[in-house]
Amino acid sequence: MRQLVPAFLLVFALLSALPVTAAVTPPNVCVTCHGGLAARLGMPVKIWKTSIHAEHGVSCNACHGGDPMDAVNSMSQARGFRGVPVATEIPSICGGCHMGIAKYHAASPHGRALGRGGPTCVTCHGSHGVVRATIDQINRKNCTPCHGFESALEIKNIMMKTDGMLKAIEDRIIELKNQGILTDTLEKRLFSLRNQSHSLFHTLNIDLIRQESAHLQAELEKNNSIGSTGTGLSIGTLAVGWALILALLFYLIKKNID
Amino acid sequence: MDFLKQLYDWIDVRFGVREVVDEKRSGHLLPPNINAWYSLGSVLLVIFCLQIVTGLLLMLYYVPDIDKAFGSVAFIMDEIPLGRLIRLFHAVGSSMMLLVILLHMFSILFMGSYKAPRELHWLSGFFLLLLAMGISLTGYLLPWNQLSFWATTVATDCVSSIPFVGSDLVELLRGGKQVGFHTLGRFYTLHVGVLPATIAALIGTHLFLIRRTGVSTPPFGLEDTTNQWQGDKFVCKDHPDGIPFFPNFVLQDLISISLYLACLMMFVFFFPNMFIPSTSYMPANPLVTPSHIKPEWYFLANYQTLKLFPSEIVGLTVQACAMTFLALLPFIDRGTEKHPLKRPVFTMTAIGCILLWIGLTIWGLYS
Repeated sequence: MRQLVPAFLLVFALLSALPVTAAVTPPNVCVTCHGGLAARLGMPVKIWKTSIHAEHGVSCNACHGGDPMDAVNSMSQARGFRGVPVATEIPSICGGCHMGIAKYHAASPHGRALGRGGPTCVTCHGSHGVVRATIDQINRKNCTPCHGFESALEIKNIMMKTDGMLKAIEDRIIELKNQGILTDTLEKRLFSLRNQSHSLFHTLNIDLIRQESAHLQAELEKNNSIGSTGTGLSIGTLAVGWALILALLFYLIKKNID
Repeated sequence: MDFLKQLYDWIDVRFGVREVVDEKRSGHLLPPNINAWYSLGSVLLVIFCLQIVTGLLLMLYYVPDIDKAFGSVAFIMDEIPLGRLIRLFHAVGSSMMLLVILLHMFSILFMGSYKAPRELHWLSGFFLLLLAMGISLTGYLLPWNQLSFWATTVATDCVSSIPFVGSDLVELLRGGKQVGFHTLGRFYTLHVGVLPATIAALIGTHLFLIRRTGVSTPPFGLEDTTNQWQGDKFVCKDHPDGIPFFPNFVLQDLISISLYLACLMMFVFFFPNMFIPSTSYMPANPLVTPSHIKPEWYFLANYQTLKLFPSEIVGLTVQACAMTFLALLPFIDRGTEKHPLKRPVFTMTAIGCILLWIGLTIWGLYS
């Protein structure tokens, strides 16, 4: 019996580890079945696998509903399966997670034209192959099918300055990390500021975007000086200089005594 | 000034300090041709003290736990006032300590100061080198970063090639099959307790031996450069025509210490990543092996030697033979000549060995 105890402990340890593994890669019947299908029914899975949603574990059911854990009832309406969402549903589905953006979108000319040919989230961001939003998604191809590009370009130019500052701080964070400086708080703050900046676009209100971007840029300016080594180098020069002067002083005293 | 004199008298009548000072000024005379290389011992003593002080300060916040070690070091560097400076002084200081020990050994080697009756000085110094390497190796693991974790895995793995007892020794070192929680505990205990105490004791022995035999005479600027020791009775080497330890040589010590501090601070402030590469700022991950695992610079020659031989045991044996030869050098080299130019075979061999070591180190770095 005593010999069985370590075996039980081992099995228990392995079983305890299972839910952790399961949390990382949950069984997903949507991906399993559709992944094996050809053409129209299989392609979304292949595209989704390259998306930022897949990277963060946001799976098919987040938009299409249903139960990815139950193969038999996965596409049952009783389990919330909605199939392909209609255009008017899309902002509220995406807004389930991206709440701030959904609010701005709803109040914007885009949101007000919803159901009357107005653009939804997938018009610019795509559906299955959603990638990390960049400023380049504001482009002629996306905008000109419905209206001119002038006002969009104006907004883009305002936002580009903020994005440039965000990128500079991002590079600085990598640099700081390489020097062993804790950057967690800074990264979280940067993430929040980027979200604020990118959400702001969805208002399509140039004056508001200009005004808020100026605030964000001011805050980014403050963060840009974090981890500056200028003071350290000045202290270093003083310290090394002090030690060398001390050595010279001792040398002169010694020479005098000798 | 009267107050200072009174204070001095107060201390003197109780502890006889005046006698000690007078002895240092006139009784403890050093060879008249003594040179700056002799001050490296004092530099090493200062380095050891600095390592102890910075180490104690780091211990205030360091947590020897595999889940917290990396974070605690990052916390020290980022949040504690002067923490980054203290950590850099400690980490860079350990490399500098080994560099100065090697310079000290080379100077003794070339000046023949290891010759009788100073065999035990050399031997104790040699063991101090090994202990310094040991304390650096054990300290290297403590930040629990990717580099230190894998370098320790590789370093401890080398021991496994020792016949019969290799795998048991590895387990003893690691406290298990893999580098983990128990390894960190063991290395921490060795680093902050066992090794510093042993080093302190051995430094005491080293200094006691030097005090008993007297300081050796450098072979430069003299006609007779042979070893004068007869070996029939104990003699404390005195230098009646020499210079006093205090203040003359103390000033030389202070010059060398100041220059050392200037070098140390230059590295700490301007080139910190020379000794702490950016990869060491990533937390240890036993599941991800970095593409290039390199030990610290002072183990690079050993690392490259191991790679040169078809089996690890041959590489280890060659290194063990070389180290044993170095340790026993005073017992093997019985010649009386001390001047490096008057014993060209020895000098050329020694220079060749040093160049080989440097070559292997560079090769190891770029291999």
